[in-house]
Amino acid sequence: MASSRDDFVIAIRSAFLKKSNKQKFSLLTLVFLSIVIITLSSFDYKIIRQTKNIINEIVYRSSLIVSYPENFILRSIDEIIDYSTFYERYKKNVLEIENLKSEKISNKIIRSENDELKALIEDYSLSNDKILAKVIVDHNSPFLKSLIINKGSKDNIKIGTNIYDKSYLVGKVVEVNYKTSRVLLISDFNSNVPVSIAPSNIQAIVSGNGKKSGEIKYVKGNYLNDIGDKGIAYTSGTGSIYKSGIPVGKIEIIENQGQKTLKVNFYSNFDQLKYVFAEVYSEKFEISEKKNEEILETESLTQELKITDKLKLDLLNEQIEIYTNTNVRLLNENKDLEKKINDLNTELSKSLNTISSQKNIIEKNKIDKVELEFLKLNLIYSKKCKKTFSNPKGFKFGTKKYRECVINKGKLQ
Amino acid sequence: MIRFYKKNFIYKIYLWLPIIILFISVLNEFDFNYLDIEYFSFNFPFILIFYFTLKENLHFDYFLVFIAGLINDVVIGLPLGLSSLSYVLICSFSSYLRNITIRPNIIKDWFYFLFVISLINSINYSILFLVFSYELNLTYYLVNNFFTFLIYIFFTFIFDYYLKGINE
Repeated sequence: MASSRDDFVIAIRSAFLKKSNKQKFSLLTLVFLSIVIITLSSFDYKIIRQTKNIINEIVYRSSLIVSYPENFILRSIDEIIDYSTFYERYKKNVLEIENLKSEKISNKIIRSENDELKALIEDYSLSNDKILAKVIVDHNSPFLKSLIINKGSKDNIKIGTNIYDKSYLVGKVVEVNYKTSRVLLISDFNSNVPVSIAPSNIQAIVSGNGKKSGEIKYVKGNYLNDIGDKGIAYTSGTGSIYKSGIPVGKIEIIENQGQKTLKVNFYSNFDQLKYVFAEVYSEKFEISEKKNEEILETESLTQELKITDKLKLDLLNEQIEIYTNTNVRLLNENKDLEKKINDLNTELSKSLNTISSQKNIIEKNKIDKVELEFLKLNLIYSKKCKKTFSNPKGFKFGTKKYRECVINKGKLQ
Repeated sequence: MIRFYKKNFIYKIYLWLPIIILFISVLNEFDFNYLDIEYFSFNFPFILIFYFTLKENLHFDYFLVFIAGLINDVVIGLPLGLSSLSYVLICSFSSYLRNITIRPNIIKDWFYFLFVISLINSINYSILFLVFSYELNLTYYLVNNFFTFLIYIFFTFIFDYYLKGINE
């Protein structure tokens, strides 16, 4: 019993403490070192933060280099697929651009109205500069849905900075280094986004499910049944975590064994992100109490309304211009169509002439065919029908009766 | 079978291949831990580290394994030191098995590996959930654990082939 315990202790000591050939550290040292690092990393000291930043910078760059062959292959595959569907997408895009042009106009009007209303409810106005950032590492981790971008504290990125794909919400910055940052995607388990669900404007919280979509985990009040399928979720701005009015995704109601789940299909495909926008805030002014009073003054309000009206007028002028352009284009199209109709009419009359001449030829051919038939029969039955000495009942050659006789195959009437 | 001229540069790379593969697998964006296939994933570094520590590969430096763990934490976004601890613990368990084994048996190694990865994943889950308050999917851990165990035997054959190349 004692010897087996000794063996166990010897094996443990040998495994943990003994440095075998070429090993610089014993395993026990490394285990302790790991525990120390885990403990230290949970503290938020400046020196630890800076060391962590340096390690992060080095590792992210190395990861980018190591991932280059894989990314190159994936990019090539994507490009091949892109080229093969190029024409179809072009046609779709042309149609889409036409639609978007008109939508843009109405959006501008809505935005100006929104600004006006915000000013009225004494909200603070922010000048937002969206900076383009490249996704340098997109490591699919089961623990943390995140990606690394090539902008950091140098570019005024802060923890909590909103990240977008076009105008759709992607996530927020959770770790900032000097020239890189980590973005926590809204699909992550730990991500909670306060949203409003259109059209009923129901307040809710969307949490990531660790996959490509999210789920509505909490609905304010008893409005769960009021949420319809294909409702649009956009950020409500509650808690000042995310800016308000950013599109998040579409609602999909899934019913399983009587249990209703509200799934959110995000607008952005997080697997395909190459570039994102980081919204860097630079506050123009925060409305202090003094400035509040100033804004409430009638003059400034009138001024603001004038500016908004001017903006609206400009936008309407722009809309008129677009309509005029569309009208001109339609008139041109009409002219073209008229010309085409005339051409077609000319072609039709030509075709009718050709048909009548061909009909004549066919008629002539029919007559010729009857004559040919008569001549053939004449060769056989001329003896029977022709009036001769031996055939006094016959008819005189060339008469109508002679012809009838030949056609009736020599039958004399 | 591959034959090398010793002291050749390619031979040296071949000797360090397990460590190189370990570093590439932790640095690369492609990860067997997340294959985007539902109910299928496995932990390749666990298999690699367990096998080469068990076979006492001279060029499989524990310190480099520790560094690989740190890199993995940074890339994946885990608390710094967690993967290092997991990797070093795997090394320790594997080293212990090597010390107590007189006649190696692949099946025994395999089931011991199941025990080790289950324990390490439990430790990982506990630390992340209890200390760092991470929201985690337990099903993922169970599936990952199971497939890592299953696929170990497949990689054993490939690694055996690699070791034959060194020994000959």
